[in-house]
Amino acid sequence: MKMIRAIIRPEKAEKVVDALDAAGHVALTKMEVIGRGKQKGIQLESIYYDEIPKMMLMLVVEDSEINQIVDLINENAFTGNIGDGKLFVSHVDEAYTVRSRSKGL
Amino acid sequence: MKHTLLEVVVKVFKAVEVSILKEIIAIIRPNKMTRTKEVLDSLGFPSMTANRVMGRGKQKAILNEVTFQIKEPKLLKEEGSMKYIPKRLISLVVPDEDASLVAEAIMKVNHTGQFGDGKIFVCPIEDAIRVRTKETGEEAIL
Repeated sequence: MKMIRAIIRPEKAEKVVDALDAAGHVALTKMEVIGRGKQKGIQLESIYYDEIPKMMLMLVVEDSEINQIVDLINENAFTGNIGDGKLFVSHVDEAYTVRSRSKGL
Repeated sequence: MKHTLLEVVVKVFKAVEVSILKEIIAIIRPNKMTRTKEVLDSLGFPSMTANRVMGRGKQKAILNEVTFQIKEPKLLKEEGSMKYIPKRLISLVVPDEDASLVAEAIMKVNHTGQFGDGKIFVCPIEDAIRVRTKETGEEAIL
């Protein structure tokens, strides 16, 4: 299993979630985060924003579905400007469902 | 600088060694938070990071989530009334051998048998560093 953490624009979050939903990946967790990228925030005329609000989507999926989901998020979160976000894929050893106390997703 | 064969073997072994730490990420019901904290505390894992998050899975209504009476019948229906359900995400880093114990404990406390009890993920962690003392590895988290 792999965990995908996608840090995307808040206004694109719903579009991404709907696209994932349509592809059959319903389960996810989202949280509001604040961060900055390698551009070190953003300069708008005389005001400098060091930390920019973003939305983080976290989902755990089977290895075989990774490529499809990464493409889907990439496609739907894309605007072409700086600050579109990042995706991180990391390894998950085990997953448990509390309701049925079973292993697996 | 020349390495003896033993040093090389040790180095290679260390590089492929499985991680000694595990991160446990659990997404649970907010109203089970206090009890979960108590139980983890009594097991000797008091440290954790908690986060208010929104999530979605098979549960699509506020079933078993709050203790007061909900007047709106739509919210109690199983099918598709709520897009996101408020959840609590807790994350704690524990030694490898305690990971299953902690996961079991969280499962036991949070089990109600209805949709929305949550998920627990166990992920490998390569290293941990305590900022105050610069200790690394297992000493940093205990």
